[in-house]
Amino acid sequence: MNREQLQTFLDSHGADPARWPESERAKAERLIASEADARAMFEETKLLDAMLARHTQITQDNDDAVARVTRRLASPLPRQKVPFWRWPTVLLDWEFSPAWPRVAALACCAALGFFIGIAGLDRPFDRLDQSATLMSRDLGSVVFGPQALTGAGP
Amino acid sequence: MDDSDEALMARIARGDEPAFRVLSRRHLPAAVGLARRILGNAADAEDVAQEAMLRVWTHAPRWQPLAAFKTWLTRVVVNLCLDRKRKAAWVDLEAAGEIVDPTPGAGEKAESDERERLLAAAIADLPARQRTAIILTYSEGMSNAQVADVLDTSVSAVETLLVRGKQNLRRALGGVIGKDE
Repeated sequence: MNREQLQTFLDSHGADPARWPESERAKAERLIASEADARAMFEETKLLDAMLARHTQITQDNDDAVARVTRRLASPLPRQKVPFWRWPTVLLDWEFSPAWPRVAALACCAALGFFIGIAGLDRPFDRLDQSATLMSRDLGSVVFGPQALTGAGP
Repeated sequence: MDDSDEALMARIARGDEPAFRVLSRRHLPAAVGLARRILGNAADAEDVAQEAMLRVWTHAPRWQPLAAFKTWLTRVVVNLCLDRKRKAAWVDLEAAGEIVDPTPGAGEKAESDERERLLAAAIADLPARQRTAIILTYSEGMSNAQVADVLDTSVSAVETLLVRGKQNLRRALGGVIGKDE
């Protein structure tokens, strides 16, 4: 490594040896230790690094700026961009866990309605009797009446 | 409850506004500071930080945790800043008035202010990508590889940006560097 290469190396990686690549560190350190010009380059890079680090610190009035931006972000947020391949997921994204009692109640209602419909409990009692009588009479005529084609009785 | 950036992003992806507020409070100061240092303009920096956080909200359902959230946010802020620099001419020296003053002795203060003013002007005159590489290195403490990731370029390209940036700074500062401290 010559002096020109050292300058490029220092500008690329700074004056902090902890940031230097292992493969080049020994050569750079050897040159800095052996040559006064190289040592001067190293010291100058250290000063420039310190100036840049100090200059790029966060300014003190940053808090006010943050507060202003936070206030601006408080307004209603825009619609999120959902990728098209996630649309089915979004459409099926039902949150059952917080709503399971309601879903259970709905299922119970459906089961109860089905039972009432099957059992005929949704009809008035008088019509229920008629239909029951009619049903039993029809059943009796089928079993005990004469056959339609031959006229033969049981 | 998992309060990591990635967990918060997962909640934000489901439209969770309180999670977005938490994430904003956590990262907004750094975003505003970074934008301000790159742009050198407080008003533009606030606009960029706001736009970046809104992108966090709108793009959360598409976000994949391939890189750390902070790296992704830094990339968003940097890209917004570079876009803004491309669109508008660089006419700003107001950063000179916003520099942190380490307040040494009273007699040294004027000289220090002058050095800082020169440095601010020299940094402001750098091409946008050179300035960004220097700010990410010295302000954010990023390695060259991390800077390359944020700028979406190679490590050797970042090293070139740093070398050219520092050459330009030396040229602009003249002998001021040696007088520091």
